[in-house]
Amino acid sequence: MSWAGFKKTINRANTTLLQKTGQIERTIDREFADEEVKYKNYEKECQALQKDSKGYMDAMRAMTAAQARLADTIDIFYGAADKTSESAMAAHAYKRAVEDLDTGVSREMELPYRTTIMEPLGKMNAYFPIINEHITKRNKKLLDYDAARSKLNKIINKPSEDPTKLPKAQQENDDAKEVFDYLNDQLIAELPQLLDLRVPFFDPSFEAMIRMQCKFAEEGYDKLSGVQRYFADNVRDDYAAGQLDAQVEGVLQEMRELSICGAS
Amino acid sequence: MKGISKAFARTPHMIGSKVGMSKKSSDPEFDDYSRRFAALETAAEKLLKDTKAFDEAVTNLFNSGSGFSQHFGSLFHPLVGETDLIRKHPEAEHTVKHVDQYEGIMDELKAAVVPELELIESRILGPVKELQGVMKAIRKSITKRDHKLLDYDRHNNSLTKLRDKKEKSLNDEKNLFKVEQEFEIASNEYDYINTAMKNELPRFMQMATRFIDPLFHSFFYMQLNIFYLLLEKMNAFAENAKYDVSVPTSQVIPDYENKRTDAWAQIEAFNITKRIISTSKLVQANRAASGGGVGVGRSPTTSSVATSSHLGPPMRTPSSTSTSSFTKPAPPPPHASSVASPPPYSPPAATSPSYGGGFTAAKRAPPPPPPLKPKPSEPEKQYVVALYDFEAQADGDLAFRTGDRIEVVERTGSAEDWWTGRLNGVQGVFPGNYVQDT
Repeated sequence: MSWAGFKKTINRANTTLLQKTGQIERTIDREFADEEVKYKNYEKECQALQKDSKGYMDAMRAMTAAQARLADTIDIFYGAADKTSESAMAAHAYKRAVEDLDTGVSREMELPYRTTIMEPLGKMNAYFPIINEHITKRNKKLLDYDAARSKLNKIINKPSEDPTKLPKAQQENDDAKEVFDYLNDQLIAELPQLLDLRVPFFDPSFEAMIRMQCKFAEEGYDKLSGVQRYFADNVRDDYAAGQLDAQVEGVLQEMRELSICGAS
Repeated sequence: MKGISKAFARTPHMIGSKVGMSKKSSDPEFDDYSRRFAALETAAEKLLKDTKAFDEAVTNLFNSGSGFSQHFGSLFHPLVGETDLIRKHPEAEHTVKHVDQYEGIMDELKAAVVPELELIESRILGPVKELQGVMKAIRKSITKRDHKLLDYDRHNNSLTKLRDKKEKSLNDEKNLFKVEQEFEIASNEYDYINTAMKNELPRFMQMATRFIDPLFHSFFYMQLNIFYLLLEKMNAFAENAKYDVSVPTSQVIPDYENKRTDAWAQIEAFNITKRIISTSKLVQANRAASGGGVGVGRSPTTSSVATSSHLGPPMRTPSSTSTSSFTKPAPPPPHASSVASPPPYSPPAATSPSYGGGFTAAKRAPPPPPPLKPKPSEPEKQYVVALYDFEAQADGDLAFRTGDRIEVVERTGSAEDWWTGRLNGVQGVFPGNYVQDT
């Protein structure tokens, strides 16, 4: 920090202190405060939205990637006992289907998702630090202005011997006010516009999101349901009736009865 | 204790067999099964891990989806003081009207997937964990078999050594019988467990396949159901809300681009979305923008001023001391070096008519400070003659008519500055380029 910056920081800390103890009057700007609250809320929503958008895409990819890995593993199980059964065929079909799905999601979804969801959000969220900088600046300049005004009022109430003091204080007051007004007016004018523009800014993303969500579900369902052809006819009903679970339990029990399993 | 002494007994032989000093027997048939069993072990491990990963991904998908709908929805709800979003942004009507419904659907989905995830937990993860338990027990048996093999080799080795010895001592003869017995036991134990392994490992492999069969089918239907759930709800919503979702994914971007408005450019054009370089510069730029037109900046091209072309009064650019914005260095005081003050008159944005609305409200600066005392070293008064009429534009200005003789109280080094003078007993400031030296 430069020396001038350091001096400013000290002076402002002093002003804040004096304001807290009531010795310097604090400017209260309802108009700005209202806009700031709305803006802060908007910032929070946008950041949360960005997090969830990323989470959504990541989850889609993670889901299909996990399926592809599962298919590999299931294949190993069938490979352990060299069995070219219907089930092993189905496992192959499943593997092909989920691999298709996995590559399809990365190939077809990623770019549109990035363009229509992540990019606008990234863009908007990149503005916030800059806008916050403007707000911080404005708050600092407000402190300067409050300090200068308080100084000026003191001199007016209790004229000094030195005739140059009053004009100098007046000058400082006016300068501080000008800088503050400029920043403040700009924020008050532009923050509501920014918030208003959120509607046209994000509107097109909505349709895109719905389309991609539908597409993902449709692709997943289509690809997977094709695998059913390789299943025996009764599998679906067995699943619905909980028969498959019973089979799993039965096999586990048989395994436990093996002597190498410590049963003997 | 028994285990430790066994381990001690085995160690020398293990080292010996590693360096090739003692014979090590192998059973290719068993080794093959063992390899396949190890593969199954890793597979079970992976199955567990990936099932968890899948489970987690699905949870994230539905949670993020619900979060997205919620936050997106709140963006399209009117803020405090916003009355009618649709009237203001008719193009977004469709979105504004459906975000709530969308949020509802996503919440429903989030709730609907919970039972599916519970099924995966209890019907897939549970059995796989149990399978791992079974495999752990088998792994233990395999280790035991390996130990027994080691014992067999060890005793076999000692027996051979002893038998091959040409001249056996009395002790050796005694030992031979003991070693033979030990070998017999080890051989029996090993044979027993090895045979059991070779019989049962293949059976276990078969069982593993029979295990994975229903498990795979169940898992498949669970996955299918998750997609079905998503598809059904999303399609119902899209149909209801009249979103055309039958387009290919390649159409998503073009449609999006078509619907994009100039909102991006508008936001880009804001001042608050640009980094602050320096407030004083911003203020100056603003002043120049709002005061543009008539005002001529204090340009350093004095030559044009020197000619008699009638220029407007120089702009009052305050060289305020707090902001070091004034690029031009303050002209040196005309008189002796005793005074080192900045130019005495540096008003802030004044009510000069050339200023735009933004600053008319600004408070007028007080009259300039009293002039510096005339230096005693300069008793002679200086006079200048007015070249043009000058109307007072603000308090403290010295008005005059062409031809008036003005007593100079203070002048700066530049004619493009505000000088202080006295006329008819009135003291004030005036533009230096309006007058001429006598």
